[in-house]
Amino acid sequence: MRIQISQLTKTYKGGVHALKGIDLDVPTGMYGLLGSNGAGKTTLMRTLAGLLRPTSGTVRLGGHDITTQDGRLAVQRALGYLPQDLGVYPDLTARRFLDYIALLKGIDGRSDRRRRIGELLEVVALGEHADRRLKGYSGGMLRRVGIAQALLNNPRLLIVDEPTTGLDPEERIRFRTLLSHLAGDRTVLLSTHIVEDVAQTCQSLAVLARGRLVFQGHVGELVARAYRQVWTVTTSGTAPSTGRIVAALPHGAGMRYRVVAPVPPAPAAEPAEPTLEDGYLALMEAAPPA
Amino acid sequence: MIATLRYEFLMQIRRPIMWIVYGLTYITLVAVFWPAYRTLSFTDDGGHDPKLAMLTSAKLIMVLLPIVYGCLIADRLIRDRRLGVATIMDASPADPFGRLTGKYLGVCAATAVPIALAFFGRAVVYAMTEGKVEALAWSVAVFPTAVLPGLAFLGALALAGPLLMPPLPFRVLFVAYWFWGNLIPADMMPTLSHTIFAASNEYVAYGLFGQTFEGLAYGPWPDAALNALRPVASPAVAVLWMGVMVALTIAILLITRLHAARSES
Repeated sequence: MRIQISQLTKTYKGGVHALKGIDLDVPTGMYGLLGSNGAGKTTLMRTLAGLLRPTSGTVRLGGHDITTQDGRLAVQRALGYLPQDLGVYPDLTARRFLDYIALLKGIDGRSDRRRRIGELLEVVALGEHADRRLKGYSGGMLRRVGIAQALLNNPRLLIVDEPTTGLDPEERIRFRTLLSHLAGDRTVLLSTHIVEDVAQTCQSLAVLARGRLVFQGHVGELVARAYRQVWTVTTSGTAPSTGRIVAALPHGAGMRYRVVAPVPPAPAAEPAEPTLEDGYLALMEAAPPA
Repeated sequence: MIATLRYEFLMQIRRPIMWIVYGLTYITLVAVFWPAYRTLSFTDDGGHDPKLAMLTSAKLIMVLLPIVYGCLIADRLIRDRRLGVATIMDASPADPFGRLTGKYLGVCAATAVPIALAFFGRAVVYAMTEGKVEALAWSVAVFPTAVLPGLAFLGALALAGPLLMPPLPFRVLFVAYWFWGNLIPADMMPTLSHTIFAASNEYVAYGLFGQTFEGLAYGPWPDAALNALRPVASPAVAVLWMGVMVALTIAILLITRLHAARSES
């Protein structure tokens, strides 16, 4: 399901401009949306999910205009949404919770519902725990329930907002792998502020900063933004004062710094291969102020 | 709507706190109104008429149990947002007003179950101990006409009220409202008590089932304010009261949906 966004703005009551003239085209497959906290990612996700009405601009998902009621309904029928602040009814079991959401998504046939829920519980590796109450679940398990509920209607568009926040490394890797497997012929929009998640799962991405779209393209293009701007500096003295320090590791009696800067931050600085994180930081450094 | 109704009913009926609070309140009710609750009569001889006995039973349970009913419903609507469940429900294609209606019906039905058990249980005990099986038929007539309309309105009020304030102060105000608007004598102060806007069931008892009020027609109170809202009881006024309760319920639910729609944007 292709997402086409044109001149999208969202201004909240009180005059907070969360999105400022976003133009974005998201093809089928896994797509990353990066940005710092407060960049407008969640507002964009909620708008795409039909939870917020745009102040202006057009948003078309699979050809449906979500600013109309019919369009919004059509999109929500094809949508799986895992919000950042996912909640559950603690006294329901995972199976019952999924049954409830499946009914809301219009899966009325009991046998279809049971089969689908059973399949998804296996996909997210919760089959053994399906009849336990959700109040006993860990954060990672709840995230997996979240992805299961999002997949109930076999959505063509899957929107996941900060899905790995708060997960331990093992759960994060498992979750990322799961999302990659799910992409296939779906559009999976992964919103996160964790660059590593995008680096490991997406080929294309967009970057939001202070409500504006500052980048859209392939991962390699963003990495290239940091080309000849990444340096390692080994010193026993003070830290480099120019550029953005990405990493600092003890090295013998001194420290080894990884720095993103347009010019060598110290005379002894050595160039290094850029990563997606370096590209992101270089982009942020160059992004215009609000 | 059916899905929400079913699951809201299930979640509410399984709340241990509901049964505990109802149980304690029921014990208090029986203790306070003993021996009237034993005879189902406020006079010495009224309890021998099964119709009057069922009306008395309805009147008694509507003294305190609606307070528990309202307080237990008060957190049900806002908890979806508090728990973080509302987002995924709002992103589903289910009709929002259908979900609200389902939640209202499911929660209110579950919360009314203990009241129904208390009422019909007492009817069964009365029928067995007095040997008057017709009491069961009267109980089936009295409950939907004298109890349910008031509960329908109170349920909508309790569901929607916490959108305006946190549940705790709402519950305090709800208890105050219950006494002020339903139980106090009409001549004590300006009050909705004993009007067609009161959720208690006098108009059905006196208008539909022909109960008499100290031998007089039920209606305006001498020296009371708002007597324009206290027409003389008759079957038509009893039906009007039921209509008012249903209309208020629908109005509250519509306003609640409008409120939610406005806050969506």
